[in-house]
Amino acid sequence: MVPVGACLALSAVLFGIGLVGFLGRRNIILMLVSVEIMLNAVNVSLAAFSHRMQDAHGQIMALFVIAVAAAEVAVGLGLVIALSRNRPGASVEDLTELRW
Amino acid sequence: MGQVAFYYLAAASVASAILAVTRRSPVHSVLWVLALFLHVAGVFLLVGAEFLAAVQVIVYAGAILVFYLFFLMLLDLPREAAGPPFGAHWPLAAAAGLAVAVVAWYAHEAELAPVPDRPAPAGPSGNLSTVGMALFTRFALPFEVVSLILLAAIVGAVVVARKRKF
Repeated sequence: MVPVGACLALSAVLFGIGLVGFLGRRNIILMLVSVEIMLNAVNVSLAAFSHRMQDAHGQIMALFVIAVAAAEVAVGLGLVIALSRNRPGASVEDLTELRW
Repeated sequence: MGQVAFYYLAAASVASAILAVTRRSPVHSVLWVLALFLHVAGVFLLVGAEFLAAVQVIVYAGAILVFYLFFLMLLDLPREAAGPPFGAHWPLAAAAGLAVAVVAWYAHEAELAPVPDRPAPAGPSGNLSTVGMALFTRFALPFEVVSLILLAAIVGAVVVARKRKF
């Protein structure tokens, strides 16, 4: 029997780490990877609540989160390709003007 | 036994997440995220979400991370690995992450609502059949809308990444 509070604490810590990565990293691809870490942290807490309530709805919500994450990866990496075609490199500090 | 496994998985998840965020090389970061996702799949198994664990391994660790690795190899960023991994504003980012983690941690300390007594579900028991029944009866419409979202994402990715200018 896994304590639900420990699962929520794990989720909180993982979300914080993902937020640090998203705000602090310079590489735009690693910022997207940090978003994946944050989405996974939310999935952990959804699964923990589903376990506590003995209800499958939390797991279904987590499945939808995974589907939306897959869509986000496709569009986000397409945008990265479009950006790197205009200027090489993937550092957000080079993208001071989003207009061309 | 379950508790020991859970604390191992939690500690390994946090360690690999920290390594993933702080490594200099993007490829190393993505490989640490792979370790993180596999450990989170173990956590899903411990809380009785077997189908979610399988989807996590197949979709996240299998498809999404391979996609990221493919992109890192495609773009070939030698200059990125040489520079500092964090921007100059990293203390602000660290403070924001710490604040969110502390607030969420204290939120779980609050008393959780008592679980309502519900009758044992009639019909087929077991995780996969329960999820499947709910997914195709009560959540049938959101399930179909998700397929539309995926279709829109595919078309959008092709439109955004193609060469011809508008």
